[in-house]
Amino acid sequence: MSVESRNEANPGAEAGAGNAGIIAGTGAGVARTGADTSGAVAGVSGTTSARGGSGRSGRGPAWREAFTPRHLGETILTGYLPLLIALAVIVLPLVWMVIASFKPPGEIVTLTPTLWPQEPTADNYAAVADRVPLGRILLNSIIVTAVGSLIKVVLAITSAYALVFIKVRFKNIIFLGILVALMVPPEVALLPNYMTISALGGRNTLWGILLPGLGTAFGTFLLRQQFKTLPIDMLEAAELDGAGHWKKLWKIVVPVCAPAIATVALVTIVTEWNSFMWPLVITDTPENMTLPVGLNLLQSVEGQTGSYGYLMAGAVLVIVPVLIVFAALQRHIVSGLTQGAVK
Amino acid sequence: MVNVSLREVSLSYPGTERPAVADVDLEVADSEFLVLVGPSGCGKSTTLRMLAGLEFPTSGSILFDGADVTDVSPTTRDVAMVFQSYALYPHMSVAENMEFSLKNTGVAKDRRRELVAEAAAMLELEDLLGRKPKALSGGQRQRVAMGRAIVRRPQVFLMDEPLSNLDAKLRVQTRAQISALQRKLGVTTVYVTHDQTEAMTMGDRVVVMNEGRIEQAGTPRELYNSPATLFVAAFIGSPTMNLIPATRGADGTAVGAGVSVSLPRDLPESGEDIVLGIRPEDLAVSPGEGTSELELEISLVEELGSDTFVYGTTPEQDPLKLSEKPVVARLSKGGVPRRGERMSVHIDPAQVRVFDARTERLLV
Amino acid sequence: MKAALTPSEVQDPPAQKAARHRRGVREWATFLAFLAPNVLLILAFIYYPLASNIYYSMLDWRLGAASADFVGLKNYLTLFTSPTGLDMWRVTLIFTISTVVISMAIGLLLALVLNRNIPGRTFARTAVFSPYVLSGVGVGMVWNFIFDPQIGLLSHVFAFFGANSPDWYLDKNLALVMVIVVYIWKNLGYCAVVYLAGLQSIPKDLLEAAAIDHAGPVRRFFTISFPLLGPTTFFLIITTILSSMQAFDILRIMTPTGHGTNTIVFELFLQGFGVYQRAGYSAAISVVLFLALFIITTVQMRFVERKVHYA
Repeated sequence: MSVESRNEANPGAEAGAGNAGIIAGTGAGVARTGADTSGAVAGVSGTTSARGGSGRSGRGPAWREAFTPRHLGETILTGYLPLLIALAVIVLPLVWMVIASFKPPGEIVTLTPTLWPQEPTADNYAAVADRVPLGRILLNSIIVTAVGSLIKVVLAITSAYALVFIKVRFKNIIFLGILVALMVPPEVALLPNYMTISALGGRNTLWGILLPGLGTAFGTFLLRQQFKTLPIDMLEAAELDGAGHWKKLWKIVVPVCAPAIATVALVTIVTEWNSFMWPLVITDTPENMTLPVGLNLLQSVEGQTGSYGYLMAGAVLVIVPVLIVFAALQRHIVSGLTQGAVK
Repeated sequence: MVNVSLREVSLSYPGTERPAVADVDLEVADSEFLVLVGPSGCGKSTTLRMLAGLEFPTSGSILFDGADVTDVSPTTRDVAMVFQSYALYPHMSVAENMEFSLKNTGVAKDRRRELVAEAAAMLELEDLLGRKPKALSGGQRQRVAMGRAIVRRPQVFLMDEPLSNLDAKLRVQTRAQISALQRKLGVTTVYVTHDQTEAMTMGDRVVVMNEGRIEQAGTPRELYNSPATLFVAAFIGSPTMNLIPATRGADGTAVGAGVSVSLPRDLPESGEDIVLGIRPEDLAVSPGEGTSELELEISLVEELGSDTFVYGTTPEQDPLKLSEKPVVARLSKGGVPRRGERMSVHIDPAQVRVFDARTERLLV
Repeated sequence: MKAALTPSEVQDPPAQKAARHRRGVREWATFLAFLAPNVLLILAFIYYPLASNIYYSMLDWRLGAASADFVGLKNYLTLFTSPTGLDMWRVTLIFTISTVVISMAIGLLLALVLNRNIPGRTFARTAVFSPYVLSGVGVGMVWNFIFDPQIGLLSHVFAFFGANSPDWYLDKNLALVMVIVVYIWKNLGYCAVVYLAGLQSIPKDLLEAAAIDHAGPVRRFFTISFPLLGPTTFFLIITTILSSMQAFDILRIMTPTGHGTNTIVFELFLQGFGVYQRAGYSAAISVVLFLALFIITTVQMRFVERKVHYA
């Protein structure tokens, strides 16, 4: 019980508080329970073939043990307490953002802030629209995200198919080339791409924002791994059933690998939506900016204090859509973003 | 329907020494059920895949009704194949699985429905048409795989161990169903298996393959009665033929371990070392005219009800040596000897097959 | 039966060879049609930049200027010897090491908590991971508001304890601490979820066996769980180093022109596209950055390969 007292001595500390307590308690938890281990990781291993879809069976009596009188204290101190602290640290800034976006300036520039807005207002959103062409910027972001993701995913699908299912020599050399491209961070190409796109007249255009990012090494790599797990018999059966490469791709491979493709698509969409550095470099007129770049502009034209209401409204616009998508489809997104971690 | 010919077909994979298939010459008659059988790695599956167009021979040619299809892609070759894994499309229902090839060849919708219904009726799949493969039992999946092949009425059926994922009882049932179905449809069929019982019971003709080559092609009876090589003799039949090494004497007799048999007069020339092959059922308990005797010490008795198999060693054999296979005799109902007893069996020279030990080929 | 066929119906070897050739050409055509757009894009916007950076890096060249002077390796010399260059390396090192170590440590602790069999943890896991998918620009703006010395949420916390908020934005060291905190906040969930997956792949019977052998919870963690998490830890070290070195969005939004926060990618941007527009120097940073990341990734891939072999 020394564990518990140590924890109590540190009640207000941050997420990392009471190290020994968390470790001790969890060690015990792992040893005792475990019927449900697959459920919690299902999100991570969603598309990694071996453990995919193992579901959340067995969420039965196993956890009840945590609430027996004997374990209740331990459960709260080493389970819920650290979790609550962590959740507070993670969630509070976002909640603060949403609330502030509905506060009038007087409630933001104050020494005695209240949690809820006293006079909730949507003026901040209107103010954002006053300062930057918000409709245009939102539309740009949506177009860039939609078109960019669509092209990237289609290219990833056809490339991965070609690399896995078309029998030609030297294709491994091409794959190696794509693998090396995977290691090149986009920042490295920033300056030369700026020169190329400028020379092509692509500054302050949507295609200029889109074009350099369309080649997809990440999606190709991820889908190739996935396609390789398909039974080759199935593809041969389709061939004997009279399906050429095009039909095999769209009628067999794509439907069967739909979950993995959805993962790649979601990760691509989120990445495109958040993309900042390249659009920042290639656009300088507000009408052609995407949302992150527009917000950067908004922040630089506003003085640091007093305008936080507008800035939080802007942040809500860029953050909340992704939060909604993530909440609905977190399984796919987490598995895509942690690829490679779970074998 | 068509007849299928393979002309000196060989296939070598780059980087391997022995060709996977070497100089295979084979004629499959129209509506024949031909079985390719052999141990794993003997080239039977590769041969089948070349017929399908999934592999292309390094040399030689494949003809359907005289037309060269060696390099025709599987998409346009008009053959159907049943895979060992069934290879059903997991995202399609049973009906869609069967319909897929018809869609690809542009068959009209009404006609498609008709053909699927017809095939489903033949295979008793009517009630399962809306289900996905993962909701089917192993036997049902197997039938869907069959259905997918027959629905399009191909020129040739190819089957790659289609029964090996079924349990023993279902396998025997399905064996008969496939044979009946094939006779009814009259489609030229090439069937691959490693199971000699399956081969013998299903095939109009059976081709035994070994190390990429054809050992023998013939009706099941021919294979059983006159195995062309020691390999076939040891592969066909259960239990397999007794093979007793012997020496060919100048006086027209062969002397082996514990036995001496008179050889046929018209036996072709051969080396001194020969192998005598005697089927277990040709070892008789009672002596007949001109039979020779073989003394056995019984090491194992297998009672199957209808038959009894007796395994024994000749006095010259060392029973502990694994390389020396015991002699097997099949006794019909009657007095059953016990382990440890000695018994005499009698060999009718007319039933003895003689192989040249060096070439491993049948002399007579 | 054999007699029924005349030899002419069988293709002679040259014709067969031609058919084989045609088939090969057809496959190649399909292969290229499927792959060429992607490969061309990768060549044009990844490989060509890699090569042209090497050329740019040897120029003394203002972005947008028509002419440039060839200066050989001078930019590289500046990068590794000048006070600006060395300061960039110092900041990059501090930023990378502290974000990697702290995210992984807290991530592991969170994973241990999330691994407990308690209701609500699926929600908790989703919540903890969520900052990782959010726009760095939006996150930076939110935290700007929180760190504001006059009216930020943190200043109220300081006021509650009777203290004044430090001016995070004026002091270079505090600015670096600030962006490190925000960066950890955003990336913590990634470490936690990856560690959680690692923890759940540890066979339960191992821990049970240890419990039977009278190993307490702490001992079980240090003798069994942590060693078995070795590959996960390695994977995380590599991936978090890679992403920390590429940090940009938060840095740019919270300290727009760099103020003690010029890590390598931010400096690359500021030098090329900031006030100086020293494109040649920026290109030199790009080349060095690529080499560094390439080496780290290669090390990882070799390791993963070995792991697969012995798995």
